[in-house]
Amino acid sequence: MSVPNEDNMSPHTQLSSHFLGELLDSIIVDVASECHRIAKLGLDRNSEEEEEELRLSAQARVTVAAPSHSCETNGKYVVDIFGQTHPTVANEVFDCMNCGRPIVAGRFAPHLEKCMGKGRKARVKATRSSTAAQNRYSRGSPVSAYSPYSNSTGTHKLSNGTYNHTVEEYSNGTCEEP
Amino acid sequence: MATRNSFFANPKPCEHLADYKLRHGLSGYKSIQKWLKANPYGNTSIKMCETKIPRCLFCSGYHQGRLFLCLICSSVSCSDHTLLHTQSEYGHDIAVDIERSELYCCLCSDQVYDPDFDKFVVSKTFMDMPSKTHDSVIDDLMRRSSKRRRLNSVVDLDLKRSKLLVSMRDRRAKSCYPLGLRGLNNLGSTCFMNSVLQALLHAPSFWNYFLSERHGPETCKKRSSDQLCLACDFGVICSAVYSGNRTPYSPAQFLYSWWHHSANLASYEQQDAHEFFISVLDGIHEREGKDWNSNKDDGGCQCIAHRVFSGMLRSDVTCTACGFTSTTYDPCVDISLNMDTTNFSSVDVASKSVRPNEDTGRSTLLACLDLFTRPERLGSDQKLYCQNCQERRDSMKQMSIKRLPLVLSLHIKRFEHSSLRRSSRKIDWFLQFPFSLDMTPYLSPSIVRNRFGNRIFGFESDESDISSEFEVFAVVTHSGMLDSGHYVTYLRLQDQWYKCDDAWITEVDERIVRAAQCYMIFYVQKMLYCKANED
Repeated sequence: MSVPNEDNMSPHTQLSSHFLGELLDSIIVDVASECHRIAKLGLDRNSEEEEEELRLSAQARVTVAAPSHSCETNGKYVVDIFGQTHPTVANEVFDCMNCGRPIVAGRFAPHLEKCMGKGRKARVKATRSSTAAQNRYSRGSPVSAYSPYSNSTGTHKLSNGTYNHTVEEYSNGTCEEP
Repeated sequence: MATRNSFFANPKPCEHLADYKLRHGLSGYKSIQKWLKANPYGNTSIKMCETKIPRCLFCSGYHQGRLFLCLICSSVSCSDHTLLHTQSEYGHDIAVDIERSELYCCLCSDQVYDPDFDKFVVSKTFMDMPSKTHDSVIDDLMRRSSKRRRLNSVVDLDLKRSKLLVSMRDRRAKSCYPLGLRGLNNLGSTCFMNSVLQALLHAPSFWNYFLSERHGPETCKKRSSDQLCLACDFGVICSAVYSGNRTPYSPAQFLYSWWHHSANLASYEQQDAHEFFISVLDGIHEREGKDWNSNKDDGGCQCIAHRVFSGMLRSDVTCTACGFTSTTYDPCVDISLNMDTTNFSSVDVASKSVRPNEDTGRSTLLACLDLFTRPERLGSDQKLYCQNCQERRDSMKQMSIKRLPLVLSLHIKRFEHSSLRRSSRKIDWFLQFPFSLDMTPYLSPSIVRNRFGNRIFGFESDESDISSEFEVFAVVTHSGMLDSGHYVTYLRLQDQWYKCDDAWITEVDERIVRAAQCYMIFYVQKMLYCKANED
């Protein structure tokens, strides 16, 4: 922001500029006074620990971004810590608890989806167990009263930036007069 | 910390203030008390006269920056002339900043502090507040917080018992690594489930409960034919993972049970790990909760899910016209945090072409927590009814944490859905998070005290509140695009970090974890962390 040349300003402009300056000064002193109190009374956070964490984090990012770390970020594993290797698609086989057929682990979820009759592409199966399972779908929303502000609407979380206050009026019914 | 509290309550006065107190005691404070005028979310100022503006005695200026009122003779001087006043009147060293009600020592040229003065300021503020607000505001501050969560004896028993069970297990395979480390097979886009399961399987006092078989097929009342129980199924996974067997486990039964519980989320496609987490805790609560007296006043539901994860949030809504504040408390099992969008480096701001959703943004967890507890001005379309004013008013709202859980789960809202543009996007910014987290500044007493200008008042508890210190033990990260990403969990066991990528368990350096794109961060109370890790 360029500072206007005092000599060229009309008295009106000078005055407004002066007032603006005072308003700014007042705000600056407000902040300074608050911080002074916080610092003098020892209320400020453990800034050494915080700075240490920030430093470690910055250092970590630099190290990880370096070319020598590409093997880690590649995501290709050779062996795990127990010396085992695993295929891309899990090949353990077990019986489906819905239809009883043996299924490969890595394909269990898509199988179960069709088996239980869910999903767009599934045909409804008229087996005893899936019918019984379908009767249980009439349960209410899985979000219980214990997470009132968690808006579960599918895979996308709503982000409106504000916490939806659960009361519409001011009410202080829980407090008693001393 | 104990030292911090005592320092706060008893700041050391300068010699001039000490001298003033000796000679004049509290008379100066008493005399100006009637002039104190408080503003909610603002300064407390001194208003001596309704019709005239105070002026400096020496220069007659009233706009020379700060004005100070002498506590002895009530004369006013501006910041340039306070020294003159104290030189002309011997002993008139202590004054009060009129705009901010802060003590000022004219000889030290510095702001000074006195708990006695603060008490006068605070009691005047309380006297002026609309009557009902008084109680809710002092609730947290004046009374001793007796509800501080302690490690109860049951948890302790679980810890001991589960450790015994774990040590008795088969040690054939890879006994040099901590037990409980076992890969989970991906059953088809189920990494969202695996990542959260890994975190739950290592949440101190949560896994111990299940491993100690406190919820099992014998005790479970819901287990009859065709009836599924998420808690039982979790117990099964727990036993499997802590059995000593290191081949990856397939949590198929759990997936089946969960799809029954959360019908609307059941489909073969990538789900949101956070939603899964909430849904699982809810499922376990349902199976457990009815066995206990829920909504007891001493802490709500006593099911294992809530005993470990549930905390309490406080919401204060203040009428901007009269200052009347309404306080409500809501339990929560986690805290969802918005990323602070204003945290750009100066380079980004200068180049206008950089938009917030580019990869250049970054933030810190503490900044997100600051944002969460920041006073927020509710829009004029959200006017709330004020009981005191008897009409709808513009309001301010502020969140704080009333009670911390044993395990603190923080969720970073990286997925944004815009109903306007009918699109969703993922915020890829880097979020710095600490390994050791002190939650004290976000607790209700700190937040409310800050709202009252950080005045010294009330009974400061001398005991250090160690239950506000947390240590991270699990981090769930998300990489890739919104719909086709991959979840991975990093676990911290015995001070070593492990990467749990579905079936693959590998050791990683802590720097990898620090640099990772966190989505959910799990912290545990430091006390419990140390206990769980001692071996």
